[in-house]
Amino acid sequence: MNRSGRRQTGDGQITPAAALSPHRPSPITHHPVTRSPIVQMRDISKRFGPVLANDRISLDLWPGEVHAVLGENGAGKTTLMNVLAGMYQPDAGTIRIAGEEVQITSPADALRRGIGTVYQHFTLVPNLSILENVVLGAEGGFLVDLGAAEAKVASMLGEFGLDVSPQTEIRHLALGQRQRIEIIKVLFRGTRVLLLDEPTSVLTPGEVTSLLELLRRLRDQGVAVVLITHKLGEALAVSDRVTILRGGRAVGDLGPDVMSGANRESVRQRIVEQMFGGSQPSGSHLPTASAQNRVIPRNEESRLQDVHGGGELRFFAGAQNGMSPAELLSLRGISTSGDRGSPPLHDLSLDLNSGEVFGIAGVDGNGQKELGEVIAGQRPVTSGKILLNGVDITNRGVAVATRLGIGYVTDDRLHEGSVAGSSITDNVALKSIGRKPFSNGFWLNRRAMEEQARRLITEFDVKTPGPDTAIGTLSGGNIQKLLLARELALEPKLLICNKPTTGLDLRTARFVIQSLRDQADAGKVVVLISSELDELLEISDRIGVMYNGQLVAVIPRAAADLETIGNLMLGGTRRPRRVPA
Amino acid sequence: MRHGVFPARFAPLLTSVAAIAAAMVLGGLFLAIRGKDPIAAYGMLASRGLGTSYGITETLIRMAPLLIVSAGLLISLRAGVWNIGIDGQLMVGALFAGVAAAAVAGQIANPLMWVIAALAGMGGGLLWALVPGILRVRWGLNEIITTLMMNYVALNVTSWLVKGPVKDPSVVPPQTVLIPREMRLPAIPETGVHVGLVVGLIVVVLVTILFRHTVIGFMLDVVGRNRQAAIHAGMPVNRLTLVALLASGALAGLAGANDILGVKGLFQGNWNPGYGFAAFALVYLARLNSLWIIPFAYFLSFLAIGGEMMARPLGIPTYFVEMLEGLMLICFAVATYFERMRSPFGHQEEVETGPANAGEAPEALVGEPLLEPVAQPTGGRP
Repeated sequence: MNRSGRRQTGDGQITPAAALSPHRPSPITHHPVTRSPIVQMRDISKRFGPVLANDRISLDLWPGEVHAVLGENGAGKTTLMNVLAGMYQPDAGTIRIAGEEVQITSPADALRRGIGTVYQHFTLVPNLSILENVVLGAEGGFLVDLGAAEAKVASMLGEFGLDVSPQTEIRHLALGQRQRIEIIKVLFRGTRVLLLDEPTSVLTPGEVTSLLELLRRLRDQGVAVVLITHKLGEALAVSDRVTILRGGRAVGDLGPDVMSGANRESVRQRIVEQMFGGSQPSGSHLPTASAQNRVIPRNEESRLQDVHGGGELRFFAGAQNGMSPAELLSLRGISTSGDRGSPPLHDLSLDLNSGEVFGIAGVDGNGQKELGEVIAGQRPVTSGKILLNGVDITNRGVAVATRLGIGYVTDDRLHEGSVAGSSITDNVALKSIGRKPFSNGFWLNRRAMEEQARRLITEFDVKTPGPDTAIGTLSGGNIQKLLLARELALEPKLLICNKPTTGLDLRTARFVIQSLRDQADAGKVVVLISSELDELLEISDRIGVMYNGQLVAVIPRAAADLETIGNLMLGGTRRPRRVPA
Repeated sequence: MRHGVFPARFAPLLTSVAAIAAAMVLGGLFLAIRGKDPIAAYGMLASRGLGTSYGITETLIRMAPLLIVSAGLLISLRAGVWNIGIDGQLMVGALFAGVAAAAVAGQIANPLMWVIAALAGMGGGLLWALVPGILRVRWGLNEIITTLMMNYVALNVTSWLVKGPVKDPSVVPPQTVLIPREMRLPAIPETGVHVGLVVGLIVVVLVTILFRHTVIGFMLDVVGRNRQAAIHAGMPVNRLTLVALLASGALAGLAGANDILGVKGLFQGNWNPGYGFAAFALVYLARLNSLWIIPFAYFLSFLAIGGEMMARPLGIPTYFVEMLEGLMLICFAVATYFERMRSPFGHQEEVETGPANAGEAPEALVGEPLLEPVAQPTGGRP
């Protein structure tokens, strides 16, 4: 998480970010900061089949402001932004740019009108240079004048704190750097309104901090920055204005007067209430729903304190449940061969004890997924041993691992965890189809499969018309519930979960995290791979940090803090290093 | 979707029917350009093919191998394996069956001889599928290329064999020893259609049961729809891939045996009935649904027979029917594109606003898994 909150003075005023950037002429075009909105969206409605994704939403974007659009998944954030970015045509409502009513017919049209979007998934060509990527598509005519563009791109790179030549190929850049190139790419085209869709989801804590700084700087140069996020901490740290969406409607609007107001605590409370408060969503049958409801703001609080640097973190008492450690799984000197850009694991050893949640932190692509796959039997090892209860299960494959009680929930729900076009029933039976009750090894027992599907749908409160529904048509949260339910139904002794809360709304995320803690408290081992450090700190008993295919540190929860872990994730040493502000 | 509501359940068939109609119209245009009257041509096609007992009998006879081949192809396609080598497997199977049948004919009871020939045919087809199968499973070679190439190998190997090692020395043309008519498959009572048709129908029913009610069928479906999910679920993906390819090869071989035992009585060099391509059209038109193979097999057989019967009187080459089949596949591909545009599934990504799938192209979810035969390496990242 970022520590930019520190820069807030006691009364909550955000220090002018201009102070952060050196006073020199910017190559980015300055637009006069007028006190009228540059974009006015009025009563925008957009319907997809039965779903009213946007219901008469109005939104004003002002030059020189960071405007956060907050909401849970399915609140309509991305749809609204896609309307503005020209991806969708609204069913009703008007859009004005600089006071003039317009129809934004395509993304190219949006760019021409000065609206640029940076998506979560980057659109850069890895084998082309920065310069070529930035210019790509922006050439006016048939001939490309790279020379003139190079000077401009070079100065933008400097402005953005990237110490690289415009001739550098994209593939040599880290994710955070690539994101800046994406931003440069849209600014190069004269963007006055910059839309960022969940820009921090792929970034390390340090990268998040510098991204937020960058956004402030762009704001000060008169760009209207729109930050689409469900991370409240980031929104609070950087925004001048916040719009809260819920169920396709705008339910709250906080202007600069409120956002820079004295009482940040009350602002946060207010946003949390608007996002989650009031009536519960209909159809919720969770016995603990009300309890969960109370948990949500609290967790949000801890997230925030964390953003503000050094608030005390709450975590479950279960982390000290006093069970005597009993070694269940032991990895001894595991190495794998790497494939396609993922680093090989190298001489990795780890012991997991019954009753613990072992958290694995790391920047994406440092071997966490590979480690999960190795334990699950899905990835062969080239050397080393895996012992489960002392029995050697090295390279015995997934089927054996599953039978011996190892469960694995992948981070790729749609392409690995489930068969999107198949029914919920089939997906629920997927991992144990060859065993009772789903079959006798040859003949399927369709009735048992369907019964199980119905049972899990009810137990885990999955929103679906029925077990025959194709799983791919469900929302991410409901798919995740089913995948977790499928593993839990197999009653594993050891459960590996890779990023189980990615893309989930807070309520479902709480449910998933609580379920995992419950598993450990019942004496199972849970391996939680996550990029959400708060989540790891909250339920882990120990946290391992992976860097470049190695487990660089294993830290007991009591000794773990964000700074230490973040530092280790980036390949640093254990001693926390102060990042200069 | 699977709730027995009539229109919903049969909606996918509309796409096929529309594709067939469009292909007929386009084919009619070709006829018109060549100065033939398309109405008269289609009229004669229908009256000769459907209106004469000869037409119906021939149609049913042709249907038998088509049913068997298509059922086999369906197994491999459902498992995501593209077996383009049906024709080669069928030829080798037919040769094996012809040789085996001739070797034992007259020495043992006919039914036993048929079983031996059928098994030999299946063995031949299986053998021919085994090579691409091992290449695929062991070294990841694309089976589209290998199975296709094995067709040419089969053509030349079989014609060499009937010219030499297994040639009937008593006759001049390159062929195996003729099985006397009375020892071939008998006709279904009261008809002129041999019992191969019954075998074909049984095969289709068995394949239907395989996919609806057995673990292996379930697994083959999973491998075909999402190979990575199959790996994740611990299914023996390589073995399943091999099984799918071998099963379709064996059934192609059985179809070859069927033609030898039921119709031809011997294997001739360069004999290639070209069922493979018809089977592709058929299985796709049947939307990979095994039971729907039956009506479409009848329809395509009718086209082929009717086409032959109208060829001479109207001066339209028999290739016209092959062209129609090709047009059907093209129209079908276009029709599925529109179908996907209309499906609620296609809008899935637009409704979702979660970060897990924002900004992705909407095809990701629906992208017909069957059109992507080459799988990710085991354990690889998607």
